[in-house]
Amino acid sequence: MNNTFISRLGVQALLLLAVVSLLSACEKPPAKSVQWGYRGTGMVDIEHPATMEANFAANQVPEGLPAADPSGPRASEVYKNVKVLGDLSAGQFTRVMLSISNWVAPQQGCAYCHNLANFADDSLYTKVVARKMLQMTRHINSDWKSHVQGTGVTCYTCHRGNPVPAYVWFKDEGPRTARGYLGDRMGIGSPKPSIGMSSLPFDPFTNYLDNKENIRMAATTALPTGEDRQSIKQTEWTYALMMHFSKSLGVNCTYCHNSRAFADWKQSTPQRSTAWYGIRMVRDLNNDYMKPLTEVFPAHRLGPTGDVAKAYCSTCHQGIYKPLYGVSMAKDYPELQGPSPNAAAKPVREDSAEESVVKKSKKAKSNTSAKLETDIGITAKTAAN
Amino acid sequence: MAMLNFEKKYRVRGGTLLGGDLFDFWVGPFYVGFFGVTTTFFSILGTALILYGASLGGTWNIWQINIAPPDLSYGLGLAPLKAGGIWQCVTVCAVGAFVSWALREVEICNKLGMGYHVPFAFSVAIFAYVSLVVIRPILLGAWGHGFPYGILAHLDWVSNVGYQYLHFHYNPAHMLAITFFFTNCLALALHGALVLSATNPGEGQVVKTPEHEDTYFRDLIGYSVGTLGIHRLGLVLALNAVFWSAVCIIISGPFWTKGWPEWWSWWLDLPFWK
Amino acid sequence: MIEYQNIFTRTQVRSHPHHGVPMEESTVFERGTVAFFVHLAGKIGNAQIGPIFLGWFGIASILCGVIAFEIIGLNMWASVNWDTLQFIRLWPWLALEPPSPAYGLHTPPLREGGWWLIDGAFLTAAIFLWWIRTYRIAKQLGMGMHVCWAFGAAIWLYMVLGFFRPILMGAWGEAPPFGFFPHLDWTAALSLRYGNLFYNPFHMLSIVFLYGSALLFAMHGATILAVGRYGGEREIEQITDRGTASERAALFWRWTMGFNGTMESVHRWAWWFAILCPLTGGIGILLTGTAVDNWYLWAVKHHVAPSYPIIPVIDPLTLPGAPTN
Repeated sequence: MNNTFISRLGVQALLLLAVVSLLSACEKPPAKSVQWGYRGTGMVDIEHPATMEANFAANQVPEGLPAADPSGPRASEVYKNVKVLGDLSAGQFTRVMLSISNWVAPQQGCAYCHNLANFADDSLYTKVVARKMLQMTRHINSDWKSHVQGTGVTCYTCHRGNPVPAYVWFKDEGPRTARGYLGDRMGIGSPKPSIGMSSLPFDPFTNYLDNKENIRMAATTALPTGEDRQSIKQTEWTYALMMHFSKSLGVNCTYCHNSRAFADWKQSTPQRSTAWYGIRMVRDLNNDYMKPLTEVFPAHRLGPTGDVAKAYCSTCHQGIYKPLYGVSMAKDYPELQGPSPNAAAKPVREDSAEESVVKKSKKAKSNTSAKLETDIGITAKTAAN
Repeated sequence: MAMLNFEKKYRVRGGTLLGGDLFDFWVGPFYVGFFGVTTTFFSILGTALILYGASLGGTWNIWQINIAPPDLSYGLGLAPLKAGGIWQCVTVCAVGAFVSWALREVEICNKLGMGYHVPFAFSVAIFAYVSLVVIRPILLGAWGHGFPYGILAHLDWVSNVGYQYLHFHYNPAHMLAITFFFTNCLALALHGALVLSATNPGEGQVVKTPEHEDTYFRDLIGYSVGTLGIHRLGLVLALNAVFWSAVCIIISGPFWTKGWPEWWSWWLDLPFWK
Repeated sequence: MIEYQNIFTRTQVRSHPHHGVPMEESTVFERGTVAFFVHLAGKIGNAQIGPIFLGWFGIASILCGVIAFEIIGLNMWASVNWDTLQFIRLWPWLALEPPSPAYGLHTPPLREGGWWLIDGAFLTAAIFLWWIRTYRIAKQLGMGMHVCWAFGAAIWLYMVLGFFRPILMGAWGEAPPFGFFPHLDWTAALSLRYGNLFYNPFHMLSIVFLYGSALLFAMHGATILAVGRYGGEREIEQITDRGTASERAALFWRWTMGFNGTMESVHRWAWWFAILCPLTGGIGILLTGTAVDNWYLWAVKHHVAPSYPIIPVIDPLTLPGAPTN
């Protein structure tokens, strides 16, 4: 055993240690694979069983409340200040209220949105927000079947028992850079889970899911026509958005595309079409439902630039190709199916002058007769039993 | 006889691994040997199968011919010929031909009194091929994970397998492999250039010496690896390029199913600077 | 076992450092005098480090290079607000980015790509000065210009990426950034934007030469090591006076694949394969976006793209009544 032998052994041992520790950052086989393209094209999804089990456990649908009797007086006649769900029966209305508590504020209960001394009171911002959310839910289920189809959504789809959904986004101007002549990040270099920890642009959402910038960037002709002038930088922004798509659905690029020709619809999968409608839906929800709520939220609920929380794919999908594995909660909740609340696209707040004009002109289904608070309290308790 | 003017004295008997004197002869410039026979057998059979597969594919355009592996649903079993079975047979022939070629090279080394460096190096390349069409598919449970035999078709496979991991450039083994490939290209250019610059020094100059070669690189970058060292370096660079390429694809799927950028989270999440 | 395979040197001979052959042309600058031995280096190649010839071009090149390096590093450090720990942590993700394409070929503000432009200028200067160095040292030693021309091929690719193509495209913003992961993002984005670079025939050629270079150096390196016992690595002498090393090496390949090179010609194979990689690659990049906008569609046009059985999907934007955004 001479020196060279020992030093060689030491080098080999060191190398082994390095390899083992780097591999420990990896997953162990076996992995499960699914094919969705022609054989040999490599359009395949490979999942690790441990990840699949963890995902399945985390995305179970809670038990819904038993269906309520749709007959009887309307909620707008029974309760005060009912602006959205007035078309429901009292029993259905109560059912929805209880379900919302379970889905959105299980710890906080009714007090999260309601002044317990006066349930009709709109003083808590959460009630105003919830009203908008109900409109939004019905809108998704009736007007965006192109994306959600018959499965539909409920409050649980996004909230999952949290007052604020775990996956929302704010406009991100990036971490602090130095002042002066150096160091502009130019939108990149801040790795985040929403863009898969890459160094691609860290906020593609403002451009594509709030504003309606063009996502498509590949040329549609072989030779340049002089018109299409998307740049490489713009492509990186689209790529960042696509990273988000993959992360939020727990799939890879080949789920929708044959990467040899990303742009070619003829070679893409049907899921790409669903995703296309999804982009339009998210833009619609952010612009017509979330942004109008900016004034309603208190400062601590807004982003660093003062913008409201907005939705993206993760908000509903939460890492699964179909939210909650495609199990439909909405089918058990006709109360959340519609009608499409096109009239109520504006924020509904008691002290808004606009809103009072709307009330007067549209003869909203708000309640006319006052009911004692105790009645409401008794009814809620009865339904819970 | 296709022999070089100094060749005759080197054509000796012996050095074979299998078969003794039976196949110990040359055909033109080619040495045959037992493994020359097996190479020929596998090559002809494999080529015939490829031609048969091409005839089923509806095109003889050489860029578009595609012999595709079976669907994943066949797992590790044998697929019908027209549904991926041809691919499986061609793969067996390929492995047979490549291994035969390497063993034939060993026999030739024996005859010429050379070290086994060339067949060793070729074995690393065979390992890379086998890792793509045998090792990784076995680890993933289906022959369908192999790449299709087609000039453009295999590139489509590379593209899609890459995008299975969202951004394949972030694969650390892939980064290593590329670094070795590019460095090897640089080193080969420099080595070829250096030898040629010493032996073809230009008009009116005499052929130079290894001391000139060393002096050139010491003047340029302060170090010259030398005539023996450059060949060790070149071999090491080239073999590492191939080895880490094999590693980078074996770990993709069996040992990592998420996007490759996400793998770097371990660095970002180290406790002292998270 | 490995010690008998000509991979590592078992015994190293030491004498005085060799201070280089005398230069044929006199220069103002003298060759350096510092030369020493490193045992670890001697296990693989020569143990001698130095002496180096700096020269005016060498000094200028190193100076420009250091400035370029510092500009990149300081900008990255500033982009994390001078936090050193975060600089080390985030370094692979950080970049010095070129300006937005909106600036075209104009000079942008310092913070918005100006530093990138300045850095490019210094780096290019450093590279060209170094290129001149490869020429001058060969001249001084009375050797051929092959290294200089080889380096020129690499410079061609560098200039295409950072200078020629951005000018033809009308925007500095088309060039790659300085940054570890960001330059990889640029590479992927280039392929995404221009319809899959695998279908670019010059990209195919470049890869052929890249892989071919790996094949060639593996073959050549292994062959020389395999005939090391006959002095195969003494290539110059083997070229001018063929010995048994060259003969066995040539015959190995002749008997294996039916043809062979010579001790000299293998270096020509090597030189051409290696420089054709950046040469064809540069052409491929130059044509991307200027002559061809989508390589996959170009390949379809030229009947090169294979087809697969598919169920076509319809672009929703083309359906009547589609949301207009």
